[in-house]
Order: sequence, then C-alpha cells, then structure tokens
Amino acid sequence: MIHVYGAALLALLVSMFLFLGRAALGPTVYDRLLATNAFGTKTVIFVALLGFFAGRPEFLDMALVYALINFVTTVAVLKLVQEARLDR
Amino acid sequence: MSEQPPLQEPLERLPLAKQPVLRQVTKILIPFVIVFGLYVITHGDYGPGGGFQGGVILAAAYILFALVYGVARARRVIPRKATDVLAAVGVLFYGAVGLVGLFGGGTFLDYDFLGTDPASAQALGMFLVELGVGLTVASVMVTVFTEMVEA
Repeated sequence: MIHVYGAALLALLVSMFLFLGRAALGPTVYDRLLATNAFGTKTVIFVALLGFFAGRPEFLDMALVYALINFVTTVAVLKLVQEARLDR
Repeated sequence: MSEQPPLQEPLERLPLAKQPVLRQVTKILIPFVIVFGLYVITHGDYGPGGGFQGGVILAAAYILFALVYGVARARRVIPRKATDVLAAVGVLFYGAVGLVGLFGGGTFLDYDFLGTDPASAQALGMFLVELGVGLTVASVMVTVFTEMVEA
C-alpha cells in the first residue's frame, strides 16, 4: 500500500510543478491566481497523502487548515486585484 | 430633512458581498472554521496544533468575514475595544495560571498545584495556558489585519 501512496505523491509533485510553471508564466493575473489556487488544492491532497505515507494520519488536521487558509487567501487576493483595497 | 447617509453601505454595494455564492459559502464556512480553531487550541497537547495555531485559525474566520462583508460590519461584530481588551486578558490569564504555582509554593507555571492528581493537573495547566495564548493571538491577528486594511 505504501508504494501506491508513494506513486501518488510523485504524480502530485509533477502536477504541482506544472501549476508552478503556469503561475510563473501566466499571461494574465487570473491565470496566475487560478494556478496558485489549484496549487494550494494540490498541497492539501499532498499533505493528507504524506500523512498516510508516513503513518501519521493526524496530518489530516494540517491539510484541513491548509484548505481553509487557501480559500481565505484566494478571496483576499481576488479582492485586492479587483478593488485595490481590502476594507469595503 | 436632508437625506442622511446610511451608517453602513448596503450589501449590494459591497464588491464581494453582492455575489451570492461567495456570501453563502462564507456564511456556511465560518462556524466550521471557528470550531476547528477551538479544536486545534484544545487538542494542542495531543496532536499538531496549540494555542498560537488555533488563535490564528480563529482570526482567519474573522478575516474571512471582514473581507467579504467589509471591515465596518466586522468591527460591529467584534469592536476594536474588545480585541484590545481580549489581547491583554489572554496574557493576564497566562500569567495568572503561572502565579497559581508561585503562590502555592512552587515555581512559576508549576502546573502541579492546579489539581490533586499530577497528571490531570498538568493537562489542566496546559489547557488553560493554551487558552490564554489562543485568545491573545486571535485578538492580535484581528488587530493587525484591521489596522493594515483601514486606510
């Protein structure tokens, strides 16, 4: 079973690097935002899988935190891009 | 009588709150974030987490609300005075828990004087200290965010 987790982690790493490339290249700011958000989602899955890979399922807590913070971050950056201010 | 400007802008005028999906997702998400923050604070001694991390998660719930509904509305939920006081209360709570051991005849933050059984006294002491840390961190994070955002 540990081989399955390892293979899934490697595949995730590859796709995460693809998203990083899109975030670096992305012609518009929305491409970059979408890439960063998807990268965050991949990180959530990565942390969760890493927990099972290392035999420490309590990593799921961290994955949950990352999912929540990722949402807040995306909302904040989108608002900053659209409004150039955050207070209204 | 002249037209008085409303104290708060209606939701339809706010850039994010006028979007129904974002508004409803925020409404649904915030209670879960708060419960998760409290879970991280109280389970800091068993799993990953602790007072600081849980406090940041609690602050994240408030920041999400402030982002979507505007800082003016968020400041009506938790006023500036409340966060100022709570930040100090958290530190004082931490110090008070430490002083219990000092006045009991031990050293500062000696948890053994909080109960009769050493194991449960340690657990209680850790929980109380983490609670103080979480309260302070959440308040300070909220203060930092609102001070940076309000022009």
